Amino acid sequence: MRIIIVGCGRMGAGLALTMSQRGHEIAVVDKDRTNFERLGPSFKGETIEGIGFDRKVLLTAQVERTDGLAAVTASDDVNVVIGRVASQVFHVPRVVARLYDPRKANIYGRLGLHTISPTIWGINQAAEVLCYSPLDAILNLGSGEVNIVTTEIPPLLVGKTVSELTVRGEIHVVAISRAGKPFLPTLGTEFCWGDMVYLVVLATSTDRLRTLLGLT
Amino acid sequence: MTMKVLVVGGGKVGTSLALLLLGKGYTVKVIEAQKEKIPQLQKDLSADAVASGNGTDPVVLAAAGIVGVDVVAATTGQDETNLVVTNLARFAFNVPRVIARVNNPKNAWMFTPMMGVDVAVNQADLMASLIAKESVTE
Repeated sequence: MRIIIVGCGRMGAGLALTMSQRGHEIAVVDKDRTNFERLGPSFKGETIEGIGFDRKVLLTAQVERTDGLAAVTASDDVNVVIGRVASQVFHVPRVVARLYDPRKANIYGRLGLHTISPTIWGINQAAEVLCYSPLDAILNLGSGEVNIVTTEIPPLLVGKTVSELTVRGEIHVVAISRAGKPFLPTLGTEFCWGDMVYLVVLATSTDRLRTLLGLT
Repeated sequence: MTMKVLVVGGGKVGTSLALLLLGKGYTVKVIEAQKEKIPQLQKDLSADAVASGNGTDPVVLAAAGIVGVDVVAATTGQDETNLVVTNLARFAFNVPRVIARVNNPKNAWMFTPMMGVDVAVNQADLMASLIAKESVTE
């Protein structure tokens, strides 16, 4: 495949080297040519100095015949603009934009721009490492007879539906937070990898929930 | 019903536009990202015509009342910022009319309906043609 990578920072350079080692044809664009030093002497792809949304630069990088483009400059706005232009104007089949701001990542995801957010990923990973407790109580009702608890969906339930984690009168899924965006599921909603699940559970059914989640 | 206009960017262009529109009786809100500029803007316009925050942030746009405005004008000094605003205004908030300032004429090619722009105002071209017109004396 031919791939254009805009932004030769740590991520852009690393991505360029990885893709190049896999045998892909890579063109890297950066406004500062000293950033190409990150690629090292072994890099065999093209380097193009210029602004990533400059039409001439994109045409030099052969945006019209590229199979994919990654916009990974330090600026979210620049990445969004390059991503939109690549897909809307040049019809690049695969486009991905890196966004640091999780709120933008969500909204652009909804607009059809494929985004990746190291911030969301980093937050989730760090939180998971720091608070390793598979079932966190976030609210105790009464004297703790009923609790609202949260957990990351375990791999064994990915692709399963909410109904499989529901026990009427004992355990109910009240909300799912997916990619940082919470919503209310129905019984038919399927769990996805990385989902944070919020459940309301009877204290006496906590062990049953642990079993359902495969935590025991 | 008065026209509601949301202006993103409280620089010279944004402020002049806001003043012009306020003078016509429109309801205007200006979003400015630089906090230190807010007090002066509030003095120049009015307190409730100014919102503090980054106009590329959907939460800021929503808080400034983008839902239900008739027009969004992206007037910041950065083309990529203006384009993010126009994309959000059109495709996330369905704003009926979106106008954007083009700072660098090299970027004009991106200011199209595909990027959410109905009208692109290319300042360098405008100035150049005005000056050229004035330079030609009979």
